[in-house]
Amino acid sequence: MLQVLLTGLATGAIYGLVAMGYAVVYYVTRVINFATGQLLMASIMVTTVLSMHGTPVALALAAGVATSTLGGVVVYFLAVRPVLRFNRLSFAWLVSTLGVGIILESLAAVIWGTSSLPFPNLLNGRDVSILGAALTWQQILTIGIALFTVVGFEIFRKRTLFGKIGMAISSDPDIASAIGANVTSYAVVAFALGGLLVGVAGILVGPLSFANPYLGESFGISGFVALMIGGIEQPAASMGGGLILGVLTILANTYINAQASDWFPFVVVMVVLLVTPNGVFMSGGAIKGIWRRFQTSRVEAKS
Amino acid sequence: MTDAVLQIETLSAGYGRFDVIHDISMSVANGEAVALLGPNGAGKTTVLRSIMGLIRHRRGAIRIAGTDVTKMPAHRVAKGHAALVPEGRRLFLNQTVEDNLRLGAMRHRRNPQKVQELLDSVFELFPVVERHRHRPSSALSGGEQQMVAIGRMMMNDPTLMLLDEPSLGLAPLAIDDMTRALVKLRQQGRSILLVEQRVDLALKVCDRIYVLSDGRIIDEKRTGELGDDGRALIDAYLG
Ligand SMILES: Nc1ncnc2c1ncn2[C@@H]1O[C@H](COP(=O)(O)OP(=O)(O)OP(=O)(O)O)[C@@H](O)[C@H]1O
Ligand SMILES: [Mg+2]
Repeated sequence: MLQVLLTGLATGAIYGLVAMGYAVVYYVTRVINFATGQLLMASIMVTTVLSMHGTPVALALAAGVATSTLGGVVVYFLAVRPVLRFNRLSFAWLVSTLGVGIILESLAAVIWGTSSLPFPNLLNGRDVSILGAALTWQQILTIGIALFTVVGFEIFRKRTLFGKIGMAISSDPDIASAIGANVTSYAVVAFALGGLLVGVAGILVGPLSFANPYLGESFGISGFVALMIGGIEQPAASMGGGLILGVLTILANTYINAQASDWFPFVVVMVVLLVTPNGVFMSGGAIKGIWRRFQTSRVEAKS
Repeated sequence: MTDAVLQIETLSAGYGRFDVIHDISMSVANGEAVALLGPNGAGKTTVLRSIMGLIRHRRGAIRIAGTDVTKMPAHRVAKGHAALVPEGRRLFLNQTVEDNLRLGAMRHRRNPQKVQELLDSVFELFPVVERHRHRPSSALSGGEQQMVAIGRMMMNDPTLMLLDEPSLGLAPLAIDDMTRALVKLRQQGRSILLVEQRVDLALKVCDRIYVLSDGRIIDEKRTGELGDDGRALIDAYLG
């Protein structure tokens, strides 16, 4: 059981980083970047190809992450800024970000071919035993980085002026700009940060996933499901959604069958959306509301 | 008019394809408090938003203390040219009162001493705000939130202060407090453009008024020419 939990957390940490990649962008811009999965793919592909050509692994990893970070900025200027400039309330970014994702995928397939390439090994696959459960260093590192990321993000958001301005933009972009916030540069930073997060997720999951132009899609969807489970309003909550999704996926694989991870997450997200449409980490007020309704219905049932 | 702090010439602006203000010209002199009065939907908020750079205008020119701000985006107008108390307060409700105030002083972020001075001046004008400084701004009453909104605007230390219906939704007592605070700001020599529906408040605070109707300025008067309660004015335009 502990084995399932820990393996699930390691898997979920990846989903969580991708979900946070979506959430950070959404937090600042109210846009969902549907090329997020492909940015993860870009980080994996660039790292793989560079190291195949003899680049030192550390440098290849840095280049992979840098690619997805810059990629995020490119998505903003190519697919988001033009449509929002034309009409601030338009939903055209739905199509345009999706389009950039498809273009990235096709481009990668044309340049590097469609067969899977081996990702460079960073940490040797030796197992570590934690209370009887076996984890690889890779998995421990993944969980560690994910937790560090959420905690770091929250401290940054709540304790620094930059973070507080970000919060202000998130709650009222017009008024934030009227007090002097350059909303565009915050949007650029958000897209870069989103790219950075999925880039890190990419190099963490690369040794398991191998490198393939089409893997962006499945990670993009898993990350999006995690986002829906955790709730889209708070980046930290989306990480929680990822961890929950990871554990549930591994549970399904272990106790149903090996294919269960294909459909099980969707059942989970349907249930979550039906029960708590704003994600499982919705505000205390909403929970209190449900509790109160529950109480009154019990009182009514008694009388 | 070389000492004009605000100078608007034949300004037209609106939303989408439609103009809602037409060929507006007006001015605010240095140290002067001017009210912009008019019925609902006249375009008062639109005038303030275009001064602030929050909507694109079609035509005309806006200068603040000689600087042409016509094409400036809001975050540049906020570099000391003008600061706005928006209609409906619009505090950052998930942040504390003090955070809201400090955010208003964003342009002074490299000068902590200045920020502290400004904070002290806000607390001097609104002692209640200091008592609530560490509370979430969503926990304050409407009147208290309005004080924070004015405080946030003061923290910018702007050349021109823009206020959009600060009395909206306040209880009579809170309106009296608000009026006194605005009078004090005026006495400090601030240049103010105040949008109001409460004519009595506007007359107490301002030196001059413009009347806006259907997006056009239809009258301009010194407050001395009007009675204390502005009855004639209300009857004529706002009834
Ligand atoms: N965001 C918007 N999009 C489209 N039309 C708008 C928008 N905001 C205001 N309008 C229209 O512009 C006109 C002027 O609105 P404005 O808010 O400037 O009036 P106002 O004088 O401030 O009114 P009030 O006293 O009710 O605040 C109105 O007819 C309104 O319907
Ligand atoms: Mg208005």
